[in-house]
Amino acid sequence: MKLLKPSWVSHNGKPIFSVDIHPDGTKFATGGQGEDSGKVVIWNMAPVLREEDEKNVNIPKMLCQMDNHLACVNCVRWSNTGLYLASGGDDKLVMVWKRAAFIGPSTVFGSSSKLANVEQWRCVTILRNHTGDVMDVAWSPHDVWLASCSVDNTIVIWNARKFPEIVASLKGHTGLVKGLTWDPVGKYIASQADDHSLKVWRTMDWQQETNITKPFNECGGTTHVLRLSWSPDGQYLVSAHAMNNSGPTAQIIERDGWKTNMDFVGHRKAVTVVKFNPKIFKKKQRNGSSPKPSCPYCCCAVGSKDRSLSVWLTSLKRPLVVIHDLFDKSIMDISWTLNGLGILVCSMDGTVAYLNFSQDELGDPLNEDEKNAIHQNIYGKSLAITTEAQLSTTIIENPEMLKYQQERQRAEQANHRMTHEAQAHKLTSVVNGESLEDIRKNLLKKQVETRTADGRRRITPLCIAQLDTGPFSSSSLNGSNLLLTTSTKMEPMKALDSRFTERSKVMPGVTISMFNVCLESPFYLTGYVRVFSSNYKVGTFYQGHFLFLLSPTAHLQATPSSEKEPCCVVAIPVAVLKLPTPTPQKAFTLQVSTEPPVYLEVENDVSAVSGAKLSQLRCSREGREWDTLLPSRVITAAGSSDVVAVACEDRMLSVFSACGRRLLPAILLPAPMSALHCAGFYVMALTACATLSVWDVQKQSAVVKNESLQTILSGTECTVSQSLLTQQGVPVIGLSNGKSYCFNSSLETWNLIADKQDSLVQCADFKNCISSQDAPVSQGPLALTQGHNLNAGRLASRLSSTPHHLQHGMTLVFLENQLASALTLRSSTEYHYWLLIYARFLVTEGSDYRLRELCKDLLGPVHKSAGSAWEPTTLVGGLRKRDLLRELLPVIGQNLRFQRLFTEYQDQLELLGNK
Amino acid sequence: MAKVQVLNVAVLDNPSPFGNPFQFEITFECMEDLPEDLEWKIIYVGSAESEEYDQTLDSVLVGPVPAGRHMFVFQADAPNTGLIPESDAVGVTVALITCTYNGQEFIRIGYYVNNEYTDPELRENPPIKPDYTQLQRNILASNPRVTRFHINWDGCSDKMEDSENVDPSPNSSSSSSMVPSSCLAGKALPVGLLSGNSMDCL
Repeated sequence: MKLLKPSWVSHNGKPIFSVDIHPDGTKFATGGQGEDSGKVVIWNMAPVLREEDEKNVNIPKMLCQMDNHLACVNCVRWSNTGLYLASGGDDKLVMVWKRAAFIGPSTVFGSSSKLANVEQWRCVTILRNHTGDVMDVAWSPHDVWLASCSVDNTIVIWNARKFPEIVASLKGHTGLVKGLTWDPVGKYIASQADDHSLKVWRTMDWQQETNITKPFNECGGTTHVLRLSWSPDGQYLVSAHAMNNSGPTAQIIERDGWKTNMDFVGHRKAVTVVKFNPKIFKKKQRNGSSPKPSCPYCCCAVGSKDRSLSVWLTSLKRPLVVIHDLFDKSIMDISWTLNGLGILVCSMDGTVAYLNFSQDELGDPLNEDEKNAIHQNIYGKSLAITTEAQLSTTIIENPEMLKYQQERQRAEQANHRMTHEAQAHKLTSVVNGESLEDIRKNLLKKQVETRTADGRRRITPLCIAQLDTGPFSSSSLNGSNLLLTTSTKMEPMKALDSRFTERSKVMPGVTISMFNVCLESPFYLTGYVRVFSSNYKVGTFYQGHFLFLLSPTAHLQATPSSEKEPCCVVAIPVAVLKLPTPTPQKAFTLQVSTEPPVYLEVENDVSAVSGAKLSQLRCSREGREWDTLLPSRVITAAGSSDVVAVACEDRMLSVFSACGRRLLPAILLPAPMSALHCAGFYVMALTACATLSVWDVQKQSAVVKNESLQTILSGTECTVSQSLLTQQGVPVIGLSNGKSYCFNSSLETWNLIADKQDSLVQCADFKNCISSQDAPVSQGPLALTQGHNLNAGRLASRLSSTPHHLQHGMTLVFLENQLASALTLRSSTEYHYWLLIYARFLVTEGSDYRLRELCKDLLGPVHKSAGSAWEPTTLVGGLRKRDLLRELLPVIGQNLRFQRLFTEYQDQLELLGNK
Repeated sequence: MAKVQVLNVAVLDNPSPFGNPFQFEITFECMEDLPEDLEWKIIYVGSAESEEYDQTLDSVLVGPVPAGRHMFVFQADAPNTGLIPESDAVGVTVALITCTYNGQEFIRIGYYVNNEYTDPELRENPPIKPDYTQLQRNILASNPRVTRFHINWDGCSDKMEDSENVDPSPNSSSSSSMVPSSCLAGKALPVGLLSGNSMDCL
């Protein structure tokens, strides 16, 4: 036996109440008191096991420290799978931790460069139910349940597959419950309390099986913990603090009849903790001696308030070893390594000791098969299913167990895939195909900045790495409407994978618009990026699409029909227009409006009763939420502050109000949806067969009815690069050749509103006409469509050397085009802006006739006549023509040449005003 | 344990002319989804003598913050020179980055800032009235001073009986006035086609 007290395992001298070795033996956790909170620390096992690792400064000793518990941590326990760590403390809470696999080591900013947390463990769920300090926690075999006991005299059984669901609350103890242990066979759980009793509870109905009090009657005083333990063969339960003839003992309770005939005697003070070795041993075969089969036995460590530790073999009458004065204070917890040869002991004095035994000392551990054979013998079945081979041959009798086994298999597969993917994604410095360096270069430009209602700057940070949330997403923050899509929702990775391969087969080398829902706002974009990074596990697939998302290009494929005669020059080739459609994903989230913030969350294939698959649409708006179910998978969704629209795989379009009421009956589209937009009460649908529809939901009428994009696409090789819908319900289609068109519903025509190659734009000079008072209209639909080209116009005078009269003409044409475009887009602010520039230009350039006509137009007939078609408002935006004229007059008055015009119209306006 | 850990702050555009905006690229990690925004501030210490000359260059809200590692660039206009005592214009001063959650400051990152003339002539004979156009600002980026405070991350939830964890003095209400108003109050229209450089037309 070797003994080591690693001095570096400490909570800065504060007591260590609990220790537990990870099932894979690579790390262990300690729990106890921190500076002003509870503390859980995860340590590296290697430096404990090997001296050279301890001396190697490159091998970290502490892996992670968690200060989240508000008060002293009494117990830490790894789940049997090792994926989770549960901790319970004086703050009445049980926390369940999971490693955030996708985040690497981090340094503490501002301190010297030493690593702080090598591993990142994140609290995935907080279990709140106890009304007093939690003293002990225990995972059931196979991690089906997690039990916790407390000084509130209760034991709570949590559903470990669905935290924070409570399976049962075991009441019956009349004193502080200070220890728990599960029967390895899974039939019972035992608890020991300060009320001088040990109770065994059935897991079948959570009722008390037996109550053992006799050995505890004499017990006086209290111990901090009463950690009892069940032997690995299930035959014996050993209690903590019991008394026999005024001597402290650890009572042995036989499973068969709960008889209490034996005990471990010898400690001078109360036994605080008993821990069975997970292995069953058999006698070491000595050389030369005849291979005589010996009875298998168990091994048990007992720790006491008398600061000593004893290790017992059930085959021996006396302890194998007793170590006195190992600590300065009471022993608090013991943990065996899974191989059964090592043991970690912690004490109230804040230190930890490690003992290492050899097989010569303990015996030959039985392998799993032999252990199962023992279970088989005793219980007629082996519940300790450990290998896949046995899984197939063992009959599972308990329905709960069957359910669990099936889930485990699934989880294992998922796990396998996950680790596989994780390996490919070891480096978190790459976010969806962009290296961190690239991101950093453009971060300032790319980051989304908005203004809050009170005018403050608000930056949406760029998520560069996701903490994986694990299967329990049920943390207390679940209710908040953050854009996280938890990995549970991403579960059927296989489906996504296969879709990928499918796609690459169908259209090799073609960039496909996965989501060509238009970017409703910059927010939307980050929304997607985030969804992507949480999708991460299929990251390789998405990598190529990231840039693409930033400038979503819907590739349009004009497939000439195969029957096209090559000789026929006159015949217009019949092009089958086809727009790509978004592929349905399992789940996605998007922000559809910033003012007020509205988020949409779509989850497809939510299984419902009787196997029917439904899709769920959830909308959260200023904290209020609603959800609705759809019979088919949602492929794309959009929304505005007034309406929410979703397009399903079955070509159905559904429109809901801001509060989730269905506004329109489900609309059947002629083809699958390619792009969907909402603005105000308008909904725009661009289908895969390149037809466009716009509906006014408020008026329940069609604004644009199944208009084909043929007109704007024919004769060009270009594709649809963007589509949007203005607040006034005007649809705009941008093409890859730089031209943008909007559909004018009153003229029923496609109007060109922007052309990046337009030479007029390059040469028009109206710089002098821009007043500094005019707020630049950069946010209107026209400006957004035309983009940076406007700038060129302003700089034209500096760049061009065109003769003045030519430039004059060009500017005039350009400004008139702008006016017409703004009008057709029904963008009142932009119309107003350009009208003023236009007027100033006319005034400075002295275009008498145009100016007069403009004024006349704006004034309209002075007398009302039935035949007059003149309308006082020019635009939907509510700009009144005469108000505009009133604004123009001072501009006109600037040029003395127009003083007559000025007086003429001023008089008329006054006259009208007096009427 | 703090839910938000600042992992790195990179000082961009440094050294730079005095009038250039401050730019800090901040990387932080969040352990849990935060229901509230983080508020970041840059405070320029105008004079070592008195807090009176502290200027809050800007404050931004950062959110939403889901669990994970995030980064953003915090840009704020250069300090208002009119508020800096002339005698303190040249020389070493301090810029502070603070972050608050629910009104409680949990981290304060301080940088020494050295303002000096690049022209040797001016350096020898500095003008009595500081010529800010000639000043160069050099933030000593390699040596940040980081102070962390314990705060209550769970708002006013019931589980915080433990008053020890609450920062007793998160009083940063002294500075709120000098937020520059030069930025346009641009309303985000829901029609958004952001071509890469649509910002140019501003």
